[in-house]
Amino acid sequence: MVSKTEETQLNRLENQVDNGGGGAWEYLCLVRKLKVRRSEKVLKHGLSILNDIKKRSSLGPDEWTLYEQVAIAAMDCQCLDVAKDCIRLLRKSFPESKRVGRLEAMLLEAKGAWAEAEKAYSSFLEENPLDQVIHKRRVAMAKAQGNISGAIEWLNKYLEIFMADHDAWRELAEIYVSLQMYKQAAFCYEELILSQPTVPLHHLAYADVLYTLGGLENLQTAKKYYASVIDLTGGKNIRALFGINLCTSAIGQLAKGRNKEDKESSELQSLAATALEKDYKQRAPDKLSLLTTALKSLKVSS
Amino acid sequence: MAADLVLDTAIRDWVLIPLSVVMVLIGVLRYFVSKLMRSNQVPDAKIIKEGQLIIRARNLRAAANFIPPKSFRARRFYFSNEENGLLIVPKGQVQNAQAQMFSDPNMAMDMMKKNLSMIIPQTLTFAWVNFFFSGFVAAKIPFPLTQRFRSMLQNGIDLSTVDVSYVSSRSWYFLNLFGLRGLFSLILGEENAMDDTQRMMQMSGFGFDPSKSLGAEKDSLDIVQHDWALPKFEHRAEAVLKKLAI
Repeated sequence: MVSKTEETQLNRLENQVDNGGGGAWEYLCLVRKLKVRRSEKVLKHGLSILNDIKKRSSLGPDEWTLYEQVAIAAMDCQCLDVAKDCIRLLRKSFPESKRVGRLEAMLLEAKGAWAEAEKAYSSFLEENPLDQVIHKRRVAMAKAQGNISGAIEWLNKYLEIFMADHDAWRELAEIYVSLQMYKQAAFCYEELILSQPTVPLHHLAYADVLYTLGGLENLQTAKKYYASVIDLTGGKNIRALFGINLCTSAIGQLAKGRNKEDKESSELQSLAATALEKDYKQRAPDKLSLLTTALKSLKVSS
Repeated sequence: MAADLVLDTAIRDWVLIPLSVVMVLIGVLRYFVSKLMRSNQVPDAKIIKEGQLIIRARNLRAAANFIPPKSFRARRFYFSNEENGLLIVPKGQVQNAQAQMFSDPNMAMDMMKKNLSMIIPQTLTFAWVNFFFSGFVAAKIPFPLTQRFRSMLQNGIDLSTVDVSYVSSRSWYFLNLFGLRGLFSLILGEENAMDDTQRMMQMSGFGFDPSKSLGAEKDSLDIVQHDWALPKFEHRAEAVLKKLAI
C-alpha cells in the first residue's frame, strides 16, 4: 500500500523531473521502492539516464538495477526493442543469472510467444518452486491469452501456498466478478476484509457483490457493509450512498407484507439521500434532476 | 577509599584504542567472510506454507468481527476441524526438529558455517586479549557505579578495593564485543549488522517447532467469540451522515 505522504512525494518528484528539474534517479528509486506502475515515465527518464554515459557511470553498480527497471517498463509500454537491448546488455554482464533469465522469459511473453515463455517459466519453477514472481507471471499470461479458467487455476494453486498474499486474493476476486461467480468472489472479498479490515474499498466491493447476489439476507448484509464504508470514509463515498438507497428499496420490496423493518433503516436511507443531494448540488448541479428522479423511483418502489 | 588511580597515557594509546580498533576491524572482516560463505538456501515449501497459514489464521482471529457470522464459522471449521483442518497437525507427523536437522546435512552445514564464522574469531581475539592485555586497568568511566557492576567491568582483576568505575581490559573487550552493533549498522548498512547477542538468540531459538505454533494458533482460534461488528456500523454511519447534513 502506498501511503498518502509517499504518494505526494512521488507526485512532487515526478512533476519536478517532468519539468527538467533533475532528480530522475531519485524518482526512479522511489518508484521502485513503492512498486507503483508508471511505466511510461520510468521508460522516459530511465532511458535519459542510460543514454547519458556520464550519468550512467556515476550510478556504479546500480546501473544494472536501472537496466532491469527500464526493461520491465519498456515491456509494459510495448517498446520491445528497448527491452531487448537492455536485456542483452544485462545478459552480457551476468551470463549465468536467473534474474536475467526471468527477464528474457518476460520478453518472450511480451512478444506473445506464449508456448516458449511458458516453457521458460516452468523450467524456472522446477528449480525453485517458490518463486512468487513467476507464479504471478503465469497467472498474468493465462489471463492475457484469454484463458480465464486457467488463470483461476494458477491463482488457486498459488494461494494454496501463499495464502496471506492479499493482492492475489484481490486479483482472484476481480476475476470471479468478471465471470459472474459471485459466491466465490464474496469469499475472496471476505478474505481481503480479514487481512485489511480498515480499507473501505474491500468493504465496498464486498457489499456490491452481496447486493448483486440478492436475497433478503444478503441485501441486509450488503447494506451493513455500505454503512461501514460510509463510516470509514466519513460519508464521502458516493457509491456507498447509492448502495444504501438501492439496498433499502430492494429490502423494502422483498419484505413487503412481512413485518416492517425497524424505522432506523429508512432513516439511514433518507440521510444518505440528503447527503447525495447535497453533494450533487455542490459538484454537479446540472445533474441534480437526474438524481432526484432516480431517488424518487427508488422511494416509490419501497 | 584510596586516592584516584592514575592511568598511564600509554595504556590509552597501546591498550584501549588498539583493542577497540581491532574489535571493529574483526567485526567488519567477519561480516565479509560470512557473506562469502553464505549459501543461498532454498526455503522449504512446507515451512513457508505454515508461516502463511499462521498469518492468515491470525488475520482471521484479529478481524473476525468484520465478516458475517456464517463466513466466520465456515472459516474456523476450515482451519480447525478435527479431521482435516489446516491447523491440525497429525500426531505421527510431528517431527522432532533435532532429528530433522540431522537428516538434512545442508542445514547442519549451514549452522556449522555460521558457528565457524562466529566462534573462531571470537576465541582467537579472546586469547589474544588475554595474552597481551590481561589483568590491567584500561579505562575509567566518569561516573560511580555500585558493587554489582564489578563482575561486569572488572573481569580479570580480583581486587575488591579498586573502585568499580575502573574498567579492566578484558571487560573492555566484552563491552566492545556486545556493544558495537550501532557502529556496525553505520559502517555496513542497517540490516547487515548482526551482533553476537542476536546470533546467540538465534542459536538458542533454533529448535523452533512450527507445529507447536500451529497448535497454539488453533487453540486461540477456538476460543474466539464472534461478535459481528457490522450492525453497529449502521448507527455510526447515521451519525456520520447526520453530522454531514448539518
